[in-house]
Formats: sequence, C-alpha cells, structure tokens
Amino acid sequence: MQTRRSRKWLSVGLMVGVLMLIVPLQEAIHRTRPSLFDPDRRDRRVSAISVGPTPAVIAALGGFRTVAADLLWLKAENVWHGGSWWAMLPLLDAVTQLDPHFLLAWKVYGWHAAYNLNAESETLVDKRFWLRRGIENLERAVEANPDTWEMYFELGWTLFDRAHENWRAAHYFKLASELPDAPHYVSRMYYRSYEHVMDFENLFPAMEWALSRHKDVAMHQKLVRRDIEWWTNHWDDPQEHRRQIVLENTARKQRSVPYHMYPDDPYWDVCPVCGLPSPKGSEVCENPLCGHRLRAEAGGESLQPSAG
Amino acid sequence: MNPGYARVLFVLGLIIVAAIIAVTRKAWAPGAFHALPSIWRIAKITVAEARRRRVLHAVVVLVVLILFSMTFFSYLSPQEQARMLISGGLAAITVFGILLAIFVGAFLIPQDVENRTVYAILAKPVRRFEYVLGKYVGALIILGAVVAVMTAVLVGVLAIQDRLVADLPESPFNPNLGGVIFAAVMSYCSLAVLTALIMLISTVASTTMTVVSAFIIWAVGSLQSQIYDLAESATGATKLVLLVIYHVMPKLENFDFRHQVSNFISYSVYSGWTAVLHGIGYTLVVLILASIFFNDRQV
Repeated sequence: MQTRRSRKWLSVGLMVGVLMLIVPLQEAIHRTRPSLFDPDRRDRRVSAISVGPTPAVIAALGGFRTVAADLLWLKAENVWHGGSWWAMLPLLDAVTQLDPHFLLAWKVYGWHAAYNLNAESETLVDKRFWLRRGIENLERAVEANPDTWEMYFELGWTLFDRAHENWRAAHYFKLASELPDAPHYVSRMYYRSYEHVMDFENLFPAMEWALSRHKDVAMHQKLVRRDIEWWTNHWDDPQEHRRQIVLENTARKQRSVPYHMYPDDPYWDVCPVCGLPSPKGSEVCENPLCGHRLRAEAGGESLQPSAG
Repeated sequence: MNPGYARVLFVLGLIIVAAIIAVTRKAWAPGAFHALPSIWRIAKITVAEARRRRVLHAVVVLVVLILFSMTFFSYLSPQEQARMLISGGLAAITVFGILLAIFVGAFLIPQDVENRTVYAILAKPVRRFEYVLGKYVGALIILGAVVAVMTAVLVGVLAIQDRLVADLPESPFNPNLGGVIFAAVMSYCSLAVLTALIMLISTVASTTMTVVSAFIIWAVGSLQSQIYDLAESATGATKLVLLVIYHVMPKLENFDFRHQVSNFISYSVYSGWTAVLHGIGYTLVVLILASIFFNDRQV
C-alpha cells in the first residue's frame, strides 16, 4: 500500500516537473507565431480591423478563417459576374478581415475601389472618395503583408497610374524592388514615376540605382541604359518636355486628378484649365479649344490648378 | 509570462524530472520494456475493432468526395484554384480528423467498460497503464492512417490539377505539395495531443461528458490568443482562471500551419518541430494522469 502511494506521489511529482518544462516552452512557441491579435500592433490599422465589428466571428472561426474567406471570395466572384459592383465591397472587406494574407483579395479590393467605383462615380467628390478608399485599402494590405513585394507594387502602381502621386509611388516602387523575388520591371517603375513629372534631380540617381539592380537580366540592363541615354540627350529638349507634359496631364484629365503644373519648367507654362503647355511667358493658352488667359490682369500669377 | 520566471520554471522542471528519473530508474526501467509487447497487442486489437466500424470508412469516402469536388471550381483562375484546394483540403482533413479524434478517443475506454471487455483484458497480466497506453497507440494508428489517406488524396488532386492547368500561359498554379504535407503532419500532431486529453477525460467522465469536453478543449486550444486577450482585460479571479487556462491548456494553434501554406507565405519549420517536442511532453503528462485516474477507477 505504502509502495503504491509513494509511486503515485512520484508520478504526480514527475508530472509537475514536466508541466513546469512545458509551460515556458509552449509559451515561447506561441509568442513566435504571427498573430492578427498581436498586442504590439493594437494601434495599427490592420489590428484595428481585427478588433472591429467582427472579432467575435473571427474568433469563433478559429483556425478556419481561411476557409470562410474562400467561401466569401466565391460569393464575391458571383456578385462580380452578376454586375453588382457595390455589393462586392462588404464581401471584400470581410474576406480581407478574415484573411489579411490573401493577396489577390487585397489587390482586387484596392483595384475595384480605385478604378471601377471611381470610374462609376458621377461626382468629383465621389470619385476622390473611392480613389482614397482604394489607396487606403492597399496601405492596409502593405501593413498586413510587409514582406511581399506585390502589395508595395500594387500600392505604388495605383498611386502612379490612378492618383498620379508620383513621388509617393516612387517610394513604394523602391520598397517593392528591394524585397525578395521582385521582378526587374519594378525597379524601372521607380524611375518612371520621376520621369513623368520630369523631376531630373531624382530621375538620374533613380536610373543609376535601377542599373545597379538585376545585373544578370540583359533585357533590364538594355532598357535602363536606353532610358539613361535618352534622358541624357533630351533632358533639356523643349519638345520632349512638351511631350511629357501633354502625356501626364492628359492622363490626369482622364482620371479627374488635378493637373501637374511643372512650376520649374524652363520652356513651358501649363494652362490650369486644360493642362496643356504653352511657351513660357505666353499671355493666352495655345490650345485653340481653351484659349484661357494665362496671365491675370493684376499680379501676373497663374491660377491654381483645377480638376479636369 | 515574464521571461525570467519562465527560465526559472524551465530549470526547476528539468531538475525535478531528472531527479525523479534518476531515483526511480531501477524501479520502472525493466517494467517499461516488459510493458511494450502488451501495449502493442492492445493497440493492434484497438485498430482491428476500429476497422470493423463502418463510420470510419464513411468518413474517408466523404473526405475523398469533398476533395475531388473541389476541382469543380474551374471558372476560377489557377492561382485561386490552388488556394481554394489547399485551404479547403487542409480544413477538411482537420475537421474530420478532429471529429474522428473525439469519437475514437471518447469511446475507446468507456465502450470497453460498458461491453465488459475490459474485465477480460485486465484479468490477464496486463497492467492498467499498459491498457491505457495501448488504447492510445491504437487511436494514434487509426488517426494516422485516416490522415495519411486524406493527405495522399489531397496531394494527388493538387498534382492532377497542376498537370491540367500546366498548359495555360504563365500558369501561377502552385500546388505547394511540401507545405501541404507539412501542414497535414502538424495537424496530425495536434490530433495526437487532443486524443490524449480526450482519453484522460474518458477515464473519469461519462461518454457524453467526454465528447462535450473534447469540443470545449479543442475550441480553447485553438483560441489561445483570444483567451490571452480576455485575461489581459479581466481582473481578479476571472483573470486568474483565464491565465491558468491559457498556460495549462495545449496551444493547438502552435500546430496550425494551414493559413501560411494556403497563402504561400513562409513558415517556420523549426517552430513546427518545437511544437511537436512540446506536444510529446504534454501528451506524456496527460497519459500518466490518465493511467493514475484509470488505476483508481473501480472497474
């Protein structure tokens, strides 16, 4: 009897010992796991959505968040093909909340808001709202996926192509191109952002930087060298300046984005009404369909840029 | 937990375990080796009994059908198809694995007691801890076989789908077979820990109670981060209870790599293997407890 009791106490002692070993170990493993509910990220946007209106749902799903996101994604596909563009928003919101690492969902969410809903909107206020919403979604995507180049590139592209915020776009293209597996075209997009606004101070260093990347990709090296040669020969060519201004401001007009006024351009004044260039010092816009007076009667200053 | 306390706790635990093993090794070492044949025999009987149950076959057939039906989403892009197949397939393996673990673990011992088979077994020179361990090993073999079949089918479906969409220009279909197998192995390890806990409960509680407790344990084990959050915001006794649950219950989340694998993001294999190491220690404690409780039970 005595032996049995002592054996029992020894077993209990052994278990207490093993438990003491286990608790710190499982704690240490658990701390290393990426978590949506990481307390250190409370004040950040991704965490904010995680503790938003659906934490109970997310919690209840436990390890099945990915499957729930997939089912909602299928629903979003159906809604898309059914043409109910506005109904996609809550679905995409839920999908990205449930699975913040679902890159395709973030891409579609950002693109849908910044491109489709922006184009579908009738007023300028609405257009700006959806463009902002698309960019904010992609910013959240970057925060949730800081190690993948794709989200930085997607944000950079939307800023470059849709919002025409070229300097911010360049920043994200550079970040994207520095991440592993980023394709060579990303580093070329970095200097393209400066090219369109003819920011030569940043353009040449950016092109040199792009040349220093992907040394083993012959096509990339060829394209960057071609661009360096082009801009070395044309950076002071008035006709090239005119071409760039027309291209950039025509695109901005189509996107309902304010024109870029190229304030430091030595050859051209940009019309605040049509966004097209006229020779420096012109009194009236050269565009026959516009004819806007570029110099005000008093003060001689250009008007503020307006939306297209 | 404060890292300083954690380190002290770890060292203390190491000393206690080493001391007990050193002091008692002469008492248990020969017995333990002698017990192995008995444990293996009981495990084989458990597997043979399970093979006769049609529900096991039905579950496997159902999962195979689910996995094959997931290839019907041909209107999705290859990238989406890969994600859907991997996340859906691994979820099916986990769900059916959990259901099997709960029903196998909860019924093994109580059913033997109800059928009075246990009397025939314990009348032979089989010690009670050998019986509990034998049952557990049997359950592990059953679960292992089912998870292996389901994983093989999922891997097969992914490989076939990869072949089917390979001709598409620049197809981004990524079957991620290594990741799928790793996630399935980890899923199996979490089932092993869960089964041990279920068997522990089944030695003291009724079958219904065991099944209900098993679902609660699985939910708590999978939601440890949320429990920690709740404990942080609670006060007094509630905080204490939540912290005890957080520290003592197994962190099944540590074995869950499905999210990383289906999103094709990097995961730490080292983290997985340390979780397995922890799981082995945890299971050991739970099985010793189960043996003690079963020893004291009037059968």
